[in-house]
Amino acid sequence: MKFAIELTNAQVGMDGEEWHVDFTLAVKPGECVLLVGPGRSGKGLLLKLCAGLVAPEQGTVRVLDHDLVALDEEGLSALRRRMGVVLQQPGLRSNMTLYTNVCLPLVYHQGIDEEELRPRVVPVLEALGLTSLQKRFPAQLTTGEARCAALARALVMNQELLLLDEVMAGLDAEMVMRVDRVLAEYRRAHAVTILATLHNPSPMLEHADRIAFVRQGRIEAAGSYAEMLTTSDAALRVYLGGGPGSSRLAS
Amino acid sequence: MIGWLGQRTIDGYLYLTDLSAHVYVTLREMVSPGRQGRWAALRVTLRQMLFTGVDALPVISAIALMLGLIVITQAGTQLPKVGGEGLIGSIIVVVIIRELGPLLTAFIVIGRSGTAITTELGNMRVAQEITALELIGIRVSRYIVMPRVVAVVLSMVCLMFYFDAVAVLGGFIIARIKLTIPFHVFAQAVAQSLSLVDVLVTAAKGMLFGTAVAVICCHHGLSVRSSYTEVPQQTTTAMINSVTICLLLDILVTVTAYF
Repeated sequence: MKFAIELTNAQVGMDGEEWHVDFTLAVKPGECVLLVGPGRSGKGLLLKLCAGLVAPEQGTVRVLDHDLVALDEEGLSALRRRMGVVLQQPGLRSNMTLYTNVCLPLVYHQGIDEEELRPRVVPVLEALGLTSLQKRFPAQLTTGEARCAALARALVMNQELLLLDEVMAGLDAEMVMRVDRVLAEYRRAHAVTILATLHNPSPMLEHADRIAFVRQGRIEAAGSYAEMLTTSDAALRVYLGGGPGSSRLAS
Repeated sequence: MIGWLGQRTIDGYLYLTDLSAHVYVTLREMVSPGRQGRWAALRVTLRQMLFTGVDALPVISAIALMLGLIVITQAGTQLPKVGGEGLIGSIIVVVIIRELGPLLTAFIVIGRSGTAITTELGNMRVAQEITALELIGIRVSRYIVMPRVVAVVLSMVCLMFYFDAVAVLGGFIIARIKLTIPFHVFAQAVAQSLSLVDVLVTAAKGMLFGTAVAVICCHHGLSVRSSYTEVPQQTTTAMINSVTICLLLDILVTVTAYF
Protein backbone atom coordinates (compact mmCIF):
# COMPACT_ATOMS: atom_id res chain seq x y z
CA MET A 1 0.00 0.00 0.00
CA LYS A 2 1.63 3.20 -1.22
CA PHE A 3 -0.78 5.61 0.44
CA ALA A 4 -3.14 5.11 3.36
CA ILE A 5 -5.25 8.01 2.07
CA GLU A 6 -5.24 9.37 -1.44
CA LEU A 7 -7.60 12.11 -2.58
CA THR A 8 -7.36 13.23 -6.18
CA ASN A 9 -9.33 16.36 -7.01
CA ALA A 10 -12.09 15.22 -4.67
CA GLN A 11 -14.74 17.87 -5.15
CA VAL A 12 -17.93 18.41 -3.23
CA GLY A 13 -20.25 21.35 -2.54
CA MET A 14 -20.01 23.06 0.84
CA ASP A 15 -23.30 23.85 2.60
CA GLY A 16 -24.01 27.56 2.65
CA GLU A 17 -20.90 28.49 0.66
CA GLU A 18 -20.57 29.46 -2.98
CA TRP A 19 -17.26 27.66 -3.41
CA HIS A 20 -16.66 23.92 -3.80
CA VAL A 21 -13.99 22.06 -1.91
CA ASP A 22 -11.37 20.50 -4.13
CA PHE A 23 -8.85 18.37 -2.31
CA THR A 24 -5.76 16.57 -3.53
CA LEU A 25 -3.85 14.92 -0.73
CA ALA A 26 -1.82 11.76 -0.21
CA VAL A 27 -0.98 10.40 3.22
CA LYS A 28 1.56 7.59 3.56
CA PRO A 29 0.99 4.67 5.95
CA GLY A 30 2.15 5.62 9.43
CA GLU A 31 2.21 9.31 8.65
CA CYS A 32 0.57 11.95 10.86
CA VAL A 33 -0.95 14.83 8.90
CA LEU A 34 -2.71 17.73 10.57
CA LEU A 35 -5.17 19.97 8.78
CA VAL A 36 -5.23 23.48 10.17
CA GLY A 37 -7.25 26.47 9.09
CA PRO A 38 -10.26 28.59 9.89
CA GLY A 39 -13.71 27.22 10.69
CA ARG A 40 -15.86 26.31 7.65
CA SER A 41 -12.82 25.95 5.45
CA GLY A 42 -13.63 22.32 4.57
CA LYS A 43 -11.32 20.45 6.99
CA GLY A 44 -14.16 18.45 8.52
CA LEU A 45 -15.56 17.75 5.07
CA LEU A 46 -12.20 16.32 4.02
CA LEU A 47 -12.34 13.91 6.96
CA LYS A 48 -15.93 12.99 6.11
CA LEU A 49 -14.84 12.25 2.54
CA CYS A 50 -12.16 9.93 3.92
CA ALA A 51 -14.64 8.26 6.30
CA GLY A 52 -17.10 7.63 3.47
CA LEU A 53 -19.77 9.85 5.03
CA VAL A 54 -19.76 12.19 2.04
CA ALA A 55 -19.31 11.02 -1.54
CA PRO A 56 -17.24 13.21 -3.86
CA GLU A 57 -19.12 14.76 -6.77
CA GLN A 58 -15.94 14.48 -8.82
CA GLY A 59 -12.51 12.98 -8.32
CA THR A 60 -11.50 9.93 -6.32
CA VAL A 61 -11.03 9.05 -2.67
CA ARG A 62 -8.95 5.98 -1.87
CA VAL A 63 -8.57 4.86 1.73
CA LEU A 64 -6.49 1.84 2.79
CA ASP A 65 -6.35 0.70 -0.84
CA HIS A 66 -10.10 0.93 -1.41
CA ASP A 67 -11.94 3.30 -3.72
CA LEU A 68 -14.71 4.54 -1.42
CA VAL A 69 -17.09 5.36 -4.26
CA ALA A 70 -16.97 1.78 -5.50
CA LEU A 71 -17.63 0.19 -2.10
CA ASP A 72 -21.06 -1.16 -1.17
CA GLU A 73 -22.49 -0.84 2.35
CA GLU A 74 -20.92 -4.06 3.53
CA GLY A 75 -17.52 -3.17 2.09
CA LEU A 76 -17.65 0.25 3.69
CA SER A 77 -18.52 -1.27 7.08
CA ALA A 78 -15.59 -3.68 6.74
CA LEU A 79 -13.26 -0.81 5.87
CA ARG A 80 -14.51 1.29 8.77
CA ARG A 81 -13.59 -1.50 11.15
CA ARG A 82 -9.99 -0.74 10.21
CA MET A 83 -10.26 2.97 10.99
CA GLY A 84 -11.15 4.98 14.07
CA VAL A 85 -13.10 8.15 13.48
CA VAL A 86 -13.90 10.85 16.01
CA LEU A 87 -16.19 13.59 14.78
CA GLN A 88 -16.86 16.92 16.47
CA GLN A 89 -20.06 15.49 17.94
CA PRO A 90 -18.87 12.44 19.89
CA GLY A 91 -22.05 10.43 19.15
CA LEU A 92 -21.84 8.32 22.31
CA ARG A 93 -24.86 6.05 22.88
CA SER A 94 -26.93 8.01 25.38
CA ASN A 95 -28.32 4.92 27.12
CA MET A 96 -24.90 3.39 27.75
CA THR A 97 -22.26 4.32 30.32
CA LEU A 98 -18.92 5.66 29.20
CA TYR A 99 -17.35 2.23 29.80
CA THR A 100 -20.02 0.39 27.78
CA ASN A 101 -19.67 2.93 24.99
CA VAL A 102 -15.94 2.32 24.78
CA CYS A 103 -16.48 -1.45 24.86
CA LEU A 104 -19.14 -1.38 22.12
CA PRO A 105 -16.90 -1.96 19.06
CA LEU A 106 -15.09 -4.81 20.81
CA VAL A 107 -18.31 -6.44 21.95
CA TYR A 108 -19.98 -6.00 18.59
CA HIS A 109 -17.16 -6.96 16.26
CA GLN A 110 -15.22 -9.46 18.32
CA GLY A 111 -17.83 -10.76 20.76
CA ILE A 112 -15.34 -10.30 23.59
CA ASP A 113 -16.61 -11.13 27.08
CA GLU A 114 -16.14 -9.03 30.21
CA GLU A 115 -12.97 -10.86 31.35
CA GLU A 116 -11.15 -10.02 28.14
CA LEU A 117 -12.67 -6.57 27.83
CA ARG A 118 -11.21 -5.04 30.98
CA PRO A 119 -7.51 -5.55 30.14
CA ARG A 120 -8.07 -3.95 26.75
CA VAL A 121 -10.30 -1.07 27.77
CA VAL A 122 -9.05 -0.03 31.21
CA PRO A 123 -5.51 0.95 30.07
CA VAL A 124 -6.99 3.24 27.40
CA LEU A 125 -9.36 4.82 29.93
CA GLU A 126 -6.51 5.28 32.40
CA ALA A 127 -4.28 6.86 29.79
CA LEU A 128 -7.00 9.34 28.89
CA GLY A 129 -7.90 10.04 32.54
CA LEU A 130 -11.41 8.62 32.21
CA THR A 131 -11.25 5.86 34.82
CA SER A 132 -13.27 7.74 37.42
CA LEU A 133 -15.95 8.61 34.85
CA GLN A 134 -16.51 5.16 33.43
CA LYS A 135 -19.89 4.62 35.11
CA ARG A 136 -21.27 7.95 33.97
CA PHE A 137 -23.72 8.36 31.10
CA PRO A 138 -22.89 10.74 28.22
CA ALA A 139 -25.31 13.37 29.54
CA GLN A 140 -23.23 13.55 32.73
CA LEU A 141 -19.98 14.25 30.87
CA THR A 142 -18.51 17.57 29.79
CA THR A 143 -17.91 18.15 26.08
CA GLY A 144 -14.21 17.46 26.50
CA GLU A 145 -14.80 14.26 28.49
CA ALA A 146 -17.30 13.02 25.90
CA ARG A 147 -14.79 13.73 23.14
CA CYS A 148 -12.09 11.83 25.05
CA ALA A 149 -14.52 8.92 25.48
CA ALA A 150 -15.15 8.92 21.72
CA LEU A 151 -11.38 8.88 21.21
CA ALA A 152 -11.06 5.95 23.63
CA ARG A 153 -13.73 4.10 21.66
CA ALA A 154 -11.73 4.69 18.49
CA LEU A 155 -8.46 3.52 20.07
CA VAL A 156 -9.55 0.22 21.65
CA MET A 157 -9.85 -1.54 18.30
CA ASN A 158 -6.19 -0.95 17.31
CA GLN A 159 -7.06 0.43 13.89
CA GLU A 160 -4.73 1.23 11.04
CA LEU A 161 -6.05 4.74 10.47
CA LEU A 162 -7.34 7.48 12.77
CA LEU A 163 -9.46 10.35 11.47
CA LEU A 164 -9.85 12.94 14.21
CA ASP A 165 -12.00 16.02 13.78
CA GLU A 166 -11.11 18.74 16.31
CA VAL A 167 -10.34 16.14 18.94
CA MET A 168 -8.63 18.77 21.11
CA ALA A 169 -11.57 21.19 21.08
CA GLY A 170 -13.26 21.69 24.44
CA LEU A 171 -10.43 20.07 26.38
CA ASP A 172 -8.65 21.79 29.25
CA ALA A 173 -4.88 22.26 29.03
CA GLU A 174 -4.15 19.14 31.07
CA MET A 175 -6.42 16.99 28.90
CA VAL A 176 -4.83 18.42 25.76
CA MET A 177 -1.40 17.31 26.97
CA ARG A 178 -2.76 13.90 27.95
CA VAL A 179 -4.48 13.30 24.60
CA ASP A 180 -1.35 14.43 22.79
CA ARG A 181 0.75 11.98 24.81
CA VAL A 182 -1.71 9.12 24.26
CA LEU A 183 -1.81 9.71 20.51
CA ALA A 184 1.98 9.90 20.28
CA GLU A 185 2.37 6.63 22.22
CA TYR A 186 -0.39 4.96 20.24
CA ARG A 187 1.27 5.99 17.02
CA ARG A 188 4.61 4.59 18.15
CA ALA A 189 3.04 1.30 19.25
CA HIS A 190 0.75 0.67 16.30
CA ALA A 191 2.33 2.63 13.43
CA VAL A 192 -1.11 4.10 12.83
CA THR A 193 -1.80 6.72 10.17
CA ILE A 194 -3.38 9.87 11.58
CA LEU A 195 -5.27 12.55 9.74
CA ALA A 196 -6.57 15.18 12.16
CA THR A 197 -8.04 18.66 12.03
CA LEU A 198 -7.20 21.48 14.42
CA HIS A 199 -8.40 25.03 14.57
CA ASN A 200 -6.37 26.01 17.61
CA PRO A 201 -2.64 25.70 18.20
CA SER A 202 -1.89 22.39 19.87
CA PRO A 203 1.13 20.37 20.98
CA MET A 204 0.08 17.85 18.33
CA LEU A 205 1.55 20.21 15.75
CA GLU A 206 5.09 19.39 16.80
CA HIS A 207 4.58 15.63 16.50
CA ALA A 208 3.00 15.81 13.06
CA ASP A 209 4.96 14.74 9.99
CA ARG A 210 3.13 17.27 7.88
CA ILE A 211 0.79 20.15 8.38
CA ALA A 212 -1.64 21.25 5.68
CA PHE A 213 -3.25 24.68 5.76
CA VAL A 214 -6.81 24.58 4.44
CA ARG A 215 -8.68 27.68 3.32
CA GLN A 216 -11.92 27.89 1.33
CA GLY A 217 -11.86 24.24 0.37
CA ARG A 218 -8.28 24.11 -0.88
CA ILE A 219 -5.02 22.98 0.67
CA GLU A 220 -3.03 26.18 0.30
CA ALA A 221 0.22 25.12 1.90
CA ALA A 222 1.71 21.93 3.29
CA GLY A 223 4.97 21.00 4.96
CA SER A 224 6.60 20.11 8.26
CA TYR A 225 5.96 22.22 11.32
CA ALA A 226 9.37 23.86 11.03
CA GLU A 227 8.81 24.65 7.35
CA MET A 228 5.38 26.04 7.98
CA LEU A 229 6.64 28.32 10.75
CA THR A 230 8.77 30.13 8.19
CA THR A 231 5.67 31.22 6.30
CA SER A 232 4.95 34.86 5.82
CA ASP A 233 1.18 34.20 5.79
CA ALA A 234 -0.03 35.81 9.03
CA ALA A 235 -3.28 33.84 8.98
CA LEU A 236 -1.40 30.55 8.85
CA ARG A 237 0.94 31.59 11.65
CA VAL A 238 -2.08 32.16 13.91
CA TYR A 239 -3.10 28.51 13.50
CA LEU A 240 0.43 27.31 14.10
CA GLY A 241 0.62 29.20 17.36
CA GLY A 242 3.28 31.56 16.09
CA GLY A 243 1.08 34.44 15.06
CA PRO A 244 0.69 37.76 16.79
CA GLY A 245 -1.51 37.51 19.86
CA SER A 246 -1.75 33.73 19.77
CA SER A 247 -0.88 31.60 22.77
CA ARG A 248 1.23 28.57 22.08
CA LEU A 249 0.03 25.62 24.08
CA ALA A 250 3.09 23.73 23.02
CA SER A 251 5.27 26.03 25.01
CA MET B 1 -55.67 18.49 -9.27
CA ILE B 2 -54.38 15.74 -11.55
CA GLY B 3 -50.83 16.89 -10.88
CA TRP B 4 -51.42 16.80 -7.12
CA LEU B 5 -52.96 13.32 -7.39
CA GLY B 6 -50.05 12.13 -9.51
CA GLN B 7 -47.53 13.51 -7.05
CA ARG B 8 -49.31 11.86 -4.11
CA THR B 9 -49.33 8.55 -5.98
CA ILE B 10 -45.62 8.79 -6.70
CA ASP B 11 -44.91 9.75 -3.07
CA GLY B 12 -46.98 6.82 -1.84
CA TYR B 13 -45.21 4.45 -4.21
CA LEU B 14 -41.78 5.68 -3.10
CA TYR B 15 -42.80 5.41 0.55
CA LEU B 16 -43.92 1.82 0.12
CA THR B 17 -40.71 1.09 -1.78
CA ASP B 18 -38.67 2.45 1.14
CA LEU B 19 -40.63 0.33 3.61
CA SER B 20 -40.22 -2.76 1.42
CA ALA B 21 -36.48 -2.09 1.26
CA HIS B 22 -36.37 -2.03 5.09
CA VAL B 23 -38.25 -5.35 5.22
CA TYR B 24 -35.87 -6.86 2.65
CA VAL B 25 -32.77 -5.64 4.49
CA THR B 26 -34.15 -6.94 7.79
CA LEU B 27 -34.80 -10.38 6.31
CA ARG B 28 -31.34 -10.36 4.72
CA GLU B 29 -29.74 -9.47 8.05
CA MET B 30 -31.60 -12.29 9.76
CA VAL B 31 -30.30 -14.93 7.37
CA SER B 32 -26.97 -13.39 6.40
CA PRO B 33 -23.93 -15.41 7.42
CA GLY B 34 -21.36 -14.23 9.94
CA ARG B 35 -21.56 -14.08 13.70
CA GLN B 36 -20.46 -10.48 13.85
CA GLY B 37 -22.81 -8.44 15.99
CA ARG B 38 -25.20 -11.34 16.53
CA TRP B 39 -24.92 -11.27 20.33
CA ALA B 40 -25.19 -7.50 20.47
CA ALA B 41 -28.24 -7.63 18.20
CA LEU B 42 -29.75 -10.39 20.34
CA ARG B 43 -29.35 -8.23 23.44
CA VAL B 44 -31.10 -5.33 21.70
CA THR B 45 -33.88 -7.71 20.59
CA LEU B 46 -34.43 -9.00 24.13
CA ARG B 47 -34.46 -5.50 25.57
CA GLN B 48 -37.00 -4.39 22.96
CA MET B 49 -39.16 -7.47 23.67
CA LEU B 50 -39.08 -6.65 27.36
CA PHE B 51 -40.31 -3.13 26.62
CA THR B 52 -42.79 -3.95 23.85
CA GLY B 53 -44.05 -7.28 25.15
CA VAL B 54 -43.60 -7.74 28.89
CA ASP B 55 -43.99 -4.12 29.97
CA ALA B 56 -47.18 -3.84 27.90
CA LEU B 57 -48.93 -6.66 29.78
CA PRO B 58 -50.64 -4.45 32.41
CA VAL B 59 -52.16 -2.06 29.87
CA ILE B 60 -53.07 -4.91 27.50
CA SER B 61 -54.72 -6.78 30.39
CA ALA B 62 -56.74 -3.73 31.46
CA ILE B 63 -57.98 -2.93 27.95
CA ALA B 64 -58.67 -6.58 27.12
CA LEU B 65 -60.71 -6.95 30.31
CA MET B 66 -62.73 -3.85 29.56
CA LEU B 67 -63.39 -4.88 25.96
CA GLY B 68 -64.27 -8.43 27.03
CA LEU B 69 -66.62 -7.10 29.66
CA ILE B 70 -68.39 -4.82 27.19
CA VAL B 71 -68.75 -7.36 24.37
CA ILE B 72 -69.68 -10.29 26.58
CA THR B 73 -72.16 -8.25 28.60
CA GLN B 74 -73.83 -6.93 25.46
CA ALA B 75 -73.87 -10.33 23.76
CA GLY B 76 -74.98 -12.15 26.90
CA THR B 77 -77.82 -9.73 27.66
CA GLN B 78 -79.05 -8.82 24.17
CA LEU B 79 -78.87 -12.15 22.32
CA PRO B 80 -81.28 -14.03 24.62
CA LYS B 81 -83.90 -11.36 23.93
CA VAL B 82 -83.99 -12.36 20.27
CA GLY B 83 -83.48 -16.04 20.92
CA GLY B 84 -79.86 -15.98 19.83
CA GLU B 85 -78.20 -17.52 22.91
CA GLY B 86 -76.47 -20.00 20.64
CA LEU B 87 -74.69 -17.23 18.79
CA ILE B 88 -72.72 -15.92 21.78
CA GLY B 89 -69.67 -18.01 20.93
CA SER B 90 -69.66 -16.83 17.31
CA ILE B 91 -70.09 -13.20 18.32
CA ILE B 92 -67.14 -13.40 20.72
CA VAL B 93 -64.92 -15.13 18.18
CA VAL B 94 -65.81 -12.70 15.40
CA VAL B 95 -65.71 -9.49 17.40
CA ILE B 96 -62.91 -10.12 19.88
CA ILE B 97 -60.64 -12.82 18.48
CA ARG B 98 -60.85 -12.05 14.78
CA GLU B 99 -61.09 -8.29 14.73
CA LEU B 100 -60.93 -6.10 17.81
CA GLY B 101 -58.28 -8.12 19.64
CA PRO B 102 -55.62 -7.86 16.90
CA LEU B 103 -56.49 -4.27 16.05
CA LEU B 104 -56.52 -2.95 19.61
CA THR B 105 -53.30 -4.81 20.38
CA ALA B 106 -51.70 -3.21 17.34
CA PHE B 107 -52.93 0.24 18.40
CA ILE B 108 -51.51 -0.23 21.90
CA VAL B 109 -48.16 -1.37 20.50
CA ILE B 110 -48.13 1.60 18.12
CA GLY B 111 -48.92 4.01 20.96
CA ARG B 112 -46.39 2.57 23.39
CA SER B 113 -43.54 1.11 21.37
CA GLY B 114 -43.91 2.49 17.86
CA THR B 115 -43.74 6.08 19.02
CA ALA B 116 -40.89 5.22 21.40
CA ILE B 117 -38.90 3.64 18.55
CA THR B 118 -39.37 6.65 16.26
CA THR B 119 -38.46 9.08 19.04
CA GLU B 120 -35.40 7.08 20.10
CA LEU B 121 -34.05 6.69 16.57
CA GLY B 122 -34.83 10.32 15.72
CA ASN B 123 -32.94 11.55 18.76
CA MET B 124 -30.08 9.17 17.97
CA ARG B 125 -29.93 10.60 14.46
CA VAL B 126 -29.77 14.21 15.65
CA ALA B 127 -27.16 13.40 18.31
CA GLN B 128 -25.06 11.73 15.59
CA GLU B 129 -25.25 8.40 17.42
CA ILE B 130 -26.32 6.65 14.22
CA THR B 131 -23.39 8.17 12.31
CA ALA B 132 -21.02 7.18 15.12
CA LEU B 133 -22.28 3.59 14.96
CA GLU B 134 -21.77 3.51 11.20
CA LEU B 135 -18.26 4.89 11.69
CA ILE B 136 -17.28 2.05 13.99
CA GLY B 137 -18.43 -0.38 11.32
CA ILE B 138 -21.75 -1.26 12.91
CA ARG B 139 -24.47 -1.76 10.33
CA VAL B 140 -27.59 0.11 11.43
CA SER B 141 -29.76 -2.45 9.67
CA ARG B 142 -28.30 -5.24 11.82
CA TYR B 143 -27.89 -3.48 15.16
CA ILE B 144 -30.83 -1.06 15.13
CA VAL B 145 -33.55 -2.07 12.67
CA MET B 146 -33.50 -5.88 12.58
CA PRO B 147 -33.65 -6.41 16.38
CA ARG B 148 -36.55 -3.99 16.69
CA VAL B 149 -38.52 -5.61 13.86
CA VAL B 150 -37.98 -9.10 15.25
CA ALA B 151 -38.87 -8.02 18.80
CA VAL B 152 -42.00 -6.12 17.77
CA VAL B 153 -43.22 -9.00 15.57
CA LEU B 154 -42.73 -11.63 18.30
CA SER B 155 -44.23 -9.37 20.96
CA MET B 156 -47.20 -8.45 18.75
CA VAL B 157 -48.08 -12.11 18.05
CA CYS B 158 -47.82 -13.07 21.74
CA LEU B 159 -49.72 -9.98 22.89
CA MET B 160 -52.57 -10.67 20.45
CA PHE B 161 -53.12 -14.18 21.80
CA TYR B 162 -52.78 -12.86 25.34
CA PHE B 163 -55.29 -10.07 24.60
CA ASP B 164 -57.80 -12.58 23.18
CA ALA B 165 -57.43 -14.92 26.14
CA VAL B 166 -57.80 -12.17 28.74
CA ALA B 167 -60.70 -10.53 26.90
CA VAL B 168 -62.66 -13.77 26.58
CA LEU B 169 -61.92 -15.37 29.95
CA GLY B 170 -61.47 -12.27 32.07
CA GLY B 171 -64.40 -10.56 30.44
CA PHE B 172 -66.60 -13.56 31.17
CA ILE B 173 -65.51 -13.73 34.80
CA ILE B 174 -66.36 -10.06 35.33
CA ALA B 175 -69.58 -10.28 33.34
CA ARG B 176 -70.54 -13.43 35.26
CA ILE B 177 -72.13 -11.21 37.85
CA LYS B 178 -74.80 -10.22 35.32
CA LEU B 179 -74.93 -13.30 33.09
CA THR B 180 -76.89 -16.46 33.72
CA ILE B 181 -74.85 -18.64 31.35
CA PRO B 182 -72.67 -21.16 33.18
CA PHE B 183 -68.96 -21.09 32.36
CA HIS B 184 -68.81 -24.53 30.73
CA VAL B 185 -71.63 -23.59 28.33
CA PHE B 186 -69.88 -20.34 27.52
CA ALA B 187 -66.52 -22.07 27.02
CA GLN B 188 -68.09 -24.74 24.83
CA ALA B 189 -69.80 -22.11 22.67
CA VAL B 190 -66.52 -20.25 22.16
CA ALA B 191 -64.56 -23.45 21.48
CA GLN B 192 -67.10 -24.59 18.90
CA SER B 193 -66.98 -21.27 17.08
CA LEU B 194 -63.19 -21.05 17.15
CA SER B 195 -61.43 -22.73 14.25
CA LEU B 196 -57.80 -23.31 13.36
CA VAL B 197 -58.18 -20.64 10.68
CA ASP B 198 -58.97 -18.07 13.40
CA VAL B 199 -55.78 -18.95 15.24
CA LEU B 200 -53.69 -18.84 12.08
CA VAL B 201 -55.26 -15.56 10.98
CA THR B 202 -54.50 -14.01 14.39
CA ALA B 203 -50.88 -15.15 14.10
CA ALA B 204 -50.68 -13.82 10.54
CA LYS B 205 -52.12 -10.47 11.63
CA GLY B 206 -49.63 -10.34 14.47
CA MET B 207 -46.72 -10.88 12.10
CA LEU B 208 -47.98 -8.44 9.47
CA PHE B 209 -48.94 -5.71 11.93
CA GLY B 210 -45.71 -6.17 13.86
CA THR B 211 -43.58 -5.92 10.73
CA ALA B 212 -45.51 -2.90 9.47
CA VAL B 213 -45.37 -1.01 12.78
CA ALA B 214 -41.69 -1.70 13.41
CA VAL B 215 -40.58 -0.90 9.87
CA ILE B 216 -42.68 2.28 9.60
CA CYS B 217 -41.49 3.55 12.99
CA CYS B 218 -37.82 2.74 12.28
CA HIS B 219 -38.10 4.37 8.85
CA HIS B 220 -39.51 7.60 10.26
CA GLY B 221 -37.01 7.66 13.12
CA LEU B 222 -34.12 7.28 10.71
CA SER B 223 -35.65 9.91 8.41
CA VAL B 224 -34.94 12.64 10.96
CA ARG B 225 -32.06 14.71 9.64
CA SER B 226 -30.71 17.53 11.72
CA SER B 227 -33.19 19.04 14.15
CA TYR B 228 -34.93 17.86 17.31
CA THR B 229 -38.13 19.55 16.10
CA GLU B 230 -38.34 16.93 13.35
CA VAL B 231 -38.65 14.16 15.95
CA PRO B 232 -42.25 14.81 17.08
CA GLN B 233 -43.29 15.47 13.47
CA GLN B 234 -41.90 12.14 12.34
CA THR B 235 -43.39 10.41 15.37
CA THR B 236 -46.87 11.70 14.56
CA THR B 237 -46.53 10.67 10.92
CA ALA B 238 -45.25 7.25 11.94
CA MET B 239 -48.20 6.74 14.26
CA ILE B 240 -50.81 7.79 11.71
CA ASN B 241 -49.24 5.72 8.95
CA SER B 242 -48.90 2.70 11.24
CA VAL B 243 -52.60 2.85 12.17
CA THR B 244 -53.65 3.31 8.54
CA ILE B 245 -51.49 0.49 7.21
CA CYS B 246 -52.58 -1.85 10.02
CA LEU B 247 -56.22 -1.19 9.11
CA LEU B 248 -55.51 -1.79 5.42
CA LEU B 249 -53.66 -5.01 6.25
CA ASP B 250 -56.54 -6.07 8.49
CA ILE B 251 -58.99 -5.59 5.64
CA LEU B 252 -56.70 -7.52 3.30
CA VAL B 253 -56.29 -10.46 5.68
CA THR B 254 -59.95 -10.56 6.67
CA VAL B 255 -61.17 -10.46 3.07
CA THR B 256 -58.60 -13.07 2.03
CA ALA B 257 -59.35 -15.44 4.90
CA TYR B 258 -63.09 -15.10 5.37
CA PHE B 259 -64.71 -13.65 2.28
